Amino acid sequence: MTTFLQIITNGLMLGGLFAIVAIGLTLIFGIVKVVNFAHGEFLMVGMFLTWMITTRMGLHPFASVILVVPAMFVLGALTQRLLIQPLMGAEDDHVQIFATVGLSTALMNLALLTYGADIANTPTFGLRAPIELGPVRILTGQLYIFLAAIALVIALQLFLKNSQTGRAIRAVAQHRVAAELMGVNVPRIYILSFGLGAACVGLAAVLIAPLYPTSSNIGTYFVLTAFVVVVLGGLGSIPGAFFGAMVIGIVDSAAGYYIGSGLREAVVFGLFLVILILRPSGLFGKRMTLSHLS
Amino acid sequence: MSHSDISAGPDTSPGQAHSRRGAIALAGLLAALLVIPLVIDNAFVSHIFITICLFAALSTAWNIVGGFAGQMSLGHAMFYGIGAYVGMILFQIGISPWLGMFAGAAVAALVGMVISYPCFRLKGPFFTLASIAFLEVMRVLALQFTSVTGGATGMMIDLRLGWTWMVFRERWPSLLIVFGMLLITLAVAWAIRRSRLGFHLVATRERESAAKAAGVRTVRVRLIAVAISSALCAMLGTFHAMYLTFIEPAAMFSLVFSIQIAMFALIGGIGTVTGPLLGAVLLVPITEWARASLGSSALGLHGFVYGMVLIMFVLFMPNGIMSVIKRFITPKPPTDEPTTTETGPISAPAKAAEAPSPDRAGIGSDILRVEGLNKNFGGLAVTRDVNFTLREGEILGMIGPNGAGKTTVFNMISGFLAQDSGTVSLRGPDGQFHQPNNPADFAALGLGRTFQIVQPFAAMSVEENIMVGAFHRHHDEKNAREAARQTAWKMGLGPLLQAEARGLTIGGLKRLEVARVMAMEPRVLLLDEVMAGINQTDVRRAIDLMLSIRDGGVSIIAIEHVMQAVMSLSDRVIVLASGEVIAQGRPQDVVRDPQVIEAYLGKEFADAHA
Amino acid sequence: MTIKTYLTGTALALALASPALAEVKFGSLYPISGPLALLGEESARGLEIAVDEINAAGGLQGEQIVLERGDAVDNNQATGEARRLISFVGVKGIFGSYSSARAIAASQVSELAGVPYFELGAVADEVTGRGLEYLFRTNPTAAHMGADSITLLVDSIAPGLGKSPEELTLGIIYEDSSYGTSVAGHQETHAKEAGLNVAVKAHYAANSVDMSSIVLSLREAGVDVVLQTSYQNDSVLFLQQANEAGYEPLAIIGGGGGYSMQPTADAVGHDVIDGVFDVDFTQFAVNTEATPGLEEFITAYEEKYGTAPRSGHSLANYVGAKVILEAIAAGEGFEPDQIVAAMQAVDVPQGATAAGYGVKFGENNQNERATMMGMQWQDGRLVTIFPEDAAVAEIRFNN
Repeated sequence: MTTFLQIITNGLMLGGLFAIVAIGLTLIFGIVKVVNFAHGEFLMVGMFLTWMITTRMGLHPFASVILVVPAMFVLGALTQRLLIQPLMGAEDDHVQIFATVGLSTALMNLALLTYGADIANTPTFGLRAPIELGPVRILTGQLYIFLAAIALVIALQLFLKNSQTGRAIRAVAQHRVAAELMGVNVPRIYILSFGLGAACVGLAAVLIAPLYPTSSNIGTYFVLTAFVVVVLGGLGSIPGAFFGAMVIGIVDSAAGYYIGSGLREAVVFGLFLVILILRPSGLFGKRMTLSHLS
Repeated sequence: MSHSDISAGPDTSPGQAHSRRGAIALAGLLAALLVIPLVIDNAFVSHIFITICLFAALSTAWNIVGGFAGQMSLGHAMFYGIGAYVGMILFQIGISPWLGMFAGAAVAALVGMVISYPCFRLKGPFFTLASIAFLEVMRVLALQFTSVTGGATGMMIDLRLGWTWMVFRERWPSLLIVFGMLLITLAVAWAIRRSRLGFHLVATRERESAAKAAGVRTVRVRLIAVAISSALCAMLGTFHAMYLTFIEPAAMFSLVFSIQIAMFALIGGIGTVTGPLLGAVLLVPITEWARASLGSSALGLHGFVYGMVLIMFVLFMPNGIMSVIKRFITPKPPTDEPTTTETGPISAPAKAAEAPSPDRAGIGSDILRVEGLNKNFGGLAVTRDVNFTLREGEILGMIGPNGAGKTTVFNMISGFLAQDSGTVSLRGPDGQFHQPNNPADFAALGLGRTFQIVQPFAAMSVEENIMVGAFHRHHDEKNAREAARQTAWKMGLGPLLQAEARGLTIGGLKRLEVARVMAMEPRVLLLDEVMAGINQTDVRRAIDLMLSIRDGGVSIIAIEHVMQAVMSLSDRVIVLASGEVIAQGRPQDVVRDPQVIEAYLGKEFADAHA
Repeated sequence: MTIKTYLTGTALALALASPALAEVKFGSLYPISGPLALLGEESARGLEIAVDEINAAGGLQGEQIVLERGDAVDNNQATGEARRLISFVGVKGIFGSYSSARAIAASQVSELAGVPYFELGAVADEVTGRGLEYLFRTNPTAAHMGADSITLLVDSIAPGLGKSPEELTLGIIYEDSSYGTSVAGHQETHAKEAGLNVAVKAHYAANSVDMSSIVLSLREAGVDVVLQTSYQNDSVLFLQQANEAGYEPLAIIGGGGGYSMQPTADAVGHDVIDGVFDVDFTQFAVNTEATPGLEEFITAYEEKYGTAPRSGHSLANYVGAKVILEAIAAGEGFEPDQIVAAMQAVDVPQGATAAGYGVKFGENNQNERATMMGMQWQDGRLVTIFPEDAAVAEIRFNN
């Protein structure tokens, strides 16, 4: 029983990790409708920034949030403005995928060029200290990630529901052309959303950096799982992404224990495929209209 | 999704010289791929050329699914890997890779069809992500089932040399083999692009519903495309396994490799026959050069340069190299072409047709019977117990206020929407009544339809659009093209044959919609507001045209708001309001029916005129 | 036309680096970008130092050695680079390659071309298991690592824990590429032979972000001794998560990779990694009596690269390359058959190299004198504890 509880707890904490990474991706995927393969590299960039700020200035890693998040916002906004936006008019929307693949390759190798292949260890400041909650143990840092993911989901929901900009973002996400007709500046919203998505992953980077050694290819560890989470959650649904992440976290953790660690990827992707095929709108998304007839 | 093709696309008289020039350039390029390495005779140069041919061929094969069918797969390494593993396993039990190649192709085609079938309903990025997930699952399984695949340590072949085993000390035989495979792949792609299958694929990609209406079995054609594409990739995989002599799951089922395959097609020109070849010819040497000259100077530098080159390509040639070439070799830039979207007059028949009447000579027995049709959308009854029949050679007008359920009825009687209850029976050429349940089966029985909101295949030319319809009757590309041209001239689209559909005016698109369905030579024609948006003179001509179609023996149901047309065309009219048939009969009688007036204009108005 | 331009470009770029007189070229083929870059680069450095030394001492038969680098980032590129080195650069032999998969792919090419391939660091059995004529491997292999980790356990660790080996429950975990898989296979075989009880054998992807389920499986199975064969990320992850879950096996024996690297210890925390064992190539905290030349190597490394060696990979590559180059220097010439003859004449006794082991190519051209060493993390340093003549510290037990 303790083991089972521990597996579930581990799964939830892992889910928190996936959630915090995937929320930014959900924004980008749901609003700008771009499959951003460079998302993992955004995380990597954020983690290196956190590492540099923490080690050079001797600050608590969480303090670097005030620099990392705005920096990542700028990176995201620039990506949209300089890379994605010019391609919005391309005959083929797949082009954007390859633009982000190119960006991903370039960023990964730029990091290799700059920092070498060594891992960079962000000081942990006690974030790896375990906390005992009844029969189960979790890490302080994991708990922070979990809580931050929940806070981020709530904050984004409030922002999207109640603010003028948020409503404009939702309008664009639902129907780009209609929003344009209503006078929404769509390119601006896209830049903002991409920046926001990158800023979210910046927050994720700050929280993750003390727990995972940073290296140029750390992003590749996360990016596919993040996509799985986004799709499971339903396109663009932020709470959906959170719950999707929990599902994947628990499945991953349980599969690793009960089925075998060698097959956990197969289980996660298999589940993803089954859900995708049976419910293309995701576990928590609203049903999409399947045809534009009548 | 986009792009018709220039070198293999429709040849037209002004373009012929250019396409010949294109063909010569292509032949030259291909010859260079073979001759340069043979002349230089250096193992590394040969290796680069083998890599170019391999990627060009893989990318061309990918393009059949990713380009023609528009299913953006990033899991194609899976088929390559299957081919490699099957070839390798058979090699080890003493079966020549020349046979193993086909075994691998069969397995890959099967796997491709099985996994693609449920994925076709996934759109855009979802299909892409699913393909990646399948690839990942495949890789994990290959790692796991050690007894079959050798697991992580991979499999290698003992170096049995010779043609039987496809393993050579020299490079040229491998070059020859892969070059031959490239030629075959290109030929297959070229043949598909020109064939009925190719038109069906592109039509499905551009607009699935319109393709279905044109009788395209959209799932089947895409499955065929997947099977061909996977089989070709697998054969290349077998070759490459013999060339590498060593395979392992991480290398064979690699996402990076899959992305590369797709990328060459994208950079060359997705959906074109020669684009993937150009992409590989250009990019492979750049990659090799970057690695050879930058690889040793700093860790990661060449990867960085490679990423930046990719970004630059995508930014400055988002539609691929082929579109840039196209711009250069097209005789006149499209902007200079005057009055591109000006349609010609609809050619009405010379002699006046017999005036419509329910009991006019030439009207035969029932051809379509609609009985008790009911449809609810989430509790809202859209049609209620709709009954009517259409007789052979008759024009049946269908009118009713907006939201009356007319288009829903159309969707049900053409197989696009399943009714909740009731039957739709269509008399086939065999004289028997059938109850088809999908658009393709309806089309096969001779039913054609148009859409209220026009659904052109935007990236195809007007001619190609109509050809999609013509392919319903003609299997041969030449005949289909001829039929399409005739239909186009009849519909006043003659001057626009080579224009891209996306550039047409609304009126032009409406005509294109009718032309496409006419090219199918339907026995029953469902027209959904085809008169809306065309000018007054053309309405008159269109009416005459429809009458001449009618006199050709085609039975027509027309939803129409242009009352002039309804009155002068229809033998009979049925009126739909709130999902119910409220009146039917002669047009003159029906418009005087108080119930009809009420439905259109409100109760007070009806009372006032009663 | 385009293709010719690019080809000429490539040819020109390569021609710029064409040989001057009295130079002999060798290839250096390692993964120096991509996920294997770190230790690929580290391995390549060992080779470079060996070449520097030979050149400083007058080169090979009066000719200076020039190393041409190739980047074996994946298997197809490994074969491509091998071809480039052989046919374009005209190398007399290729040194490589850290990764077993790259070594296998590239050496298939060199074998067909009849060019000698010197493997200095890849451990999978298949590298030499194919019976190639022109491939020589100087380093100890997965078989050594598997055997030595069990020997270390049976001969030293179990007695030190005050238990008989049969009482211990073993768990073998490994990353799922050919490296982890082959080492774990040997570990299991040897453990069974020694009558040990292997309760868990599990593999995982090296790029996992979570190993908590494996930790739980091991704990539930009551595993006392964990043998992990891993790269860096997964070593760090396992050690951290085991520690945080409060799982404290009696012993953890790492198999090379991440376990031999100082950054791993720094990432995990010196207190956490303290007492963890490691079986790997010779590392640096070793009795230099048994490894003559080691100090000079470290000095040369620090001078050239400005840091201390990051792992023993550079040393293993250095030792192998030096023995081979010296043998070629003593040989008749640079033709493949002359080199093969020179290799067959190699007879370096045990204890004569900086890695401690001797070199003599036996069956399948594998160095039959290659051995691994046992190490333990003590006070933040990886110190050699096994074999005795190379040991610089006593084994410590926490209990």
